[in-house]
Amino acid sequence: MARKTAAQRREDRRNALFVLPMACMAALLVALPLIYVLVTSLAVGGEGSGFTLAHYKALLRADYLKVFANSLRLALDTTLISLAVGYPFAYCMARAPRRWRALLMMLVIIPFWTSALVRIYGWKILLQANGPVNAVLRGLGLIESNIKFLGSYGSVLLAMVYCLISLMILPCHSAVDKMDFTLVEAARDLGARPWRAFVTVTLPQTMPGILAGCVLVFVPSVGMFYLSDIMGGGLVLVGNLIRDQLLKVRDWNTGSAMSMVLIVMSAALYLLYRRSGGDNLGVM
Amino acid sequence: MKKFFCLLLALLTLCAVASAETVNAADEAVLNIFTWEGYIDYETVIKPFEEETGIKVNYATFASNEEMYEKLSAAKGGDYDIVLASDYMLNTTRLAGLMQKFDPEIVTNYGNLYESFTHQFFDPDNEYVVPYVSGIPLIVYDPSVVGIEIKGFNDLWDPSLTDSLGLIDDARVTIGMVLLSMGQSMNTTDEAILAEAAEKLDALKENIHVLEYENLHNYLVSGDIAVAYTFTPFVALALDANPDLKVVWPQEGLGFGIDGCFIPVNAPHAKNANLFLEFLLRPEIASICAQWQYYCSPNEAAQAVLPDWYKENPVFNGIYDRIGDAEYILNLSPEDEQKFQDIWTSFKLGL
Repeated sequence: MARKTAAQRREDRRNALFVLPMACMAALLVALPLIYVLVTSLAVGGEGSGFTLAHYKALLRADYLKVFANSLRLALDTTLISLAVGYPFAYCMARAPRRWRALLMMLVIIPFWTSALVRIYGWKILLQANGPVNAVLRGLGLIESNIKFLGSYGSVLLAMVYCLISLMILPCHSAVDKMDFTLVEAARDLGARPWRAFVTVTLPQTMPGILAGCVLVFVPSVGMFYLSDIMGGGLVLVGNLIRDQLLKVRDWNTGSAMSMVLIVMSAALYLLYRRSGGDNLGVM
Repeated sequence: MKKFFCLLLALLTLCAVASAETVNAADEAVLNIFTWEGYIDYETVIKPFEEETGIKVNYATFASNEEMYEKLSAAKGGDYDIVLASDYMLNTTRLAGLMQKFDPEIVTNYGNLYESFTHQFFDPDNEYVVPYVSGIPLIVYDPSVVGIEIKGFNDLWDPSLTDSLGLIDDARVTIGMVLLSMGQSMNTTDEAILAEAAEKLDALKENIHVLEYENLHNYLVSGDIAVAYTFTPFVALALDANPDLKVVWPQEGLGFGIDGCFIPVNAPHAKNANLFLEFLLRPEIASICAQWQYYCSPNEAAQAVLPDWYKENPVFNGIYDRIGDAEYILNLSPEDEQKFQDIWTSFKLGL
């Protein structure tokens, strides 16, 4: 490897200086609290001192594993539905005429400016037994008596997808937007049917965007529990478990161990994504 | 060098002046309140207090009793002058030595309180805590869609109530309700009784439509559920939205709670805090607080000034006859709390 010139090294040093404040912030606001959680999860707790793995062993219980499975299932469902709805939207948005594109982009971004809590309460009002959705369905003669949407798994899923779908749309849109469409034209010229051209050309080319979107949606979904609580889902998710462990049982050590497992799970997913070459798209 | 010493001297003087000022903090016309968001109204309570006394009130908030306790312990019982929190945490705080006695010379109107609301476990000798409001979770239901007459907890298991119940999403409150229905204490830690309660709770599964900690009244008003067991203000709000709903004071027993104010042991402005306690105990102010919070009032003198709509509301006036049946949810050891959480977790997983 060629040695760097003095000018290059100076440049590197200057760049490092720019990164320094951010590195300090990250260390102070992210690394330190995480280390604190890690140490708490390993500490004996109570009157004792020293370190132990007992709090992690305490997590190996059938019902806790079921809770983790619940969270993963909800996150997976959320991701799949977001992809199924978000990808076509992103595709159309990227292929739409320029005027339309700005409008569609606004529709995706504006909800971001309103509190998620307020928007979810909006959904609750729409979905309640004597609410507008039931009124319309009854008016159309589709149902006899009101459907109780709230409290169902579907209503929780709806809220999750609604809150996170823009994180799927944006990277997918960016991937479709950057794609070279002359390749699709070439495939069509060579006789590929539209579906085949999509599967063999468009899909592989936009895969980085799809992966990025999936990671961006999946990771927060695993830890998100307040939406299920607001929709009355009555689900027990990892987030509920951690909150109850900290506030109700007041066992900070076990609560920290649960948090660490959640963090490691998310981090592993992110690393897997990086490994699969996911960092060549400027979205993550 | 000389310049440097001059500067140092100036700095030291400044420090001295600053510390002299903190010594006089007790004389500052300031009061630091620490409680939940929106728990003491500014316009009708704090502002009149400021105008009357010239004391500037700062209002800091916490999200939960547990957060309050952590912060107050970290401040070694300082920083705040008035803390308003719940019964079980008041007890923990007093036992930890983080409270100071209020001054009966200033708080001369403690006698305005109902005798039955004083001498509570968190303050047996009436020395530390001034009760602010009190509440009881109640059953409220819509008789137009419920075929039976509900009189107590045990009616909630009725097969006609399939998929129509809303309960509080909290292990202690809802398992406590099951325990009361069995004639047991909500604070029992007996494994056999808890196992029986877990089984009885499981039998309620079919009837439950929603579990939510707050705002269950919305589901009742919107027709998503027909019966709710929920906290006092939500019962009252449900009744406001639909006066045809029926409120039930369960015959088997009652859960009960008091929120009260105390002065932390190292409160910087203890005198102002005592003045504020005296202010809160006045009948007019206690009446405003009860109406504002939508809770029951522990203040007997306030009954003379409370409006009729409040006094005639079955949600607010039932407690005075039934306080003998009421039981607090007490703080248990982490091991015992875990027992309740485990029952609750496996119950919810099976829903």
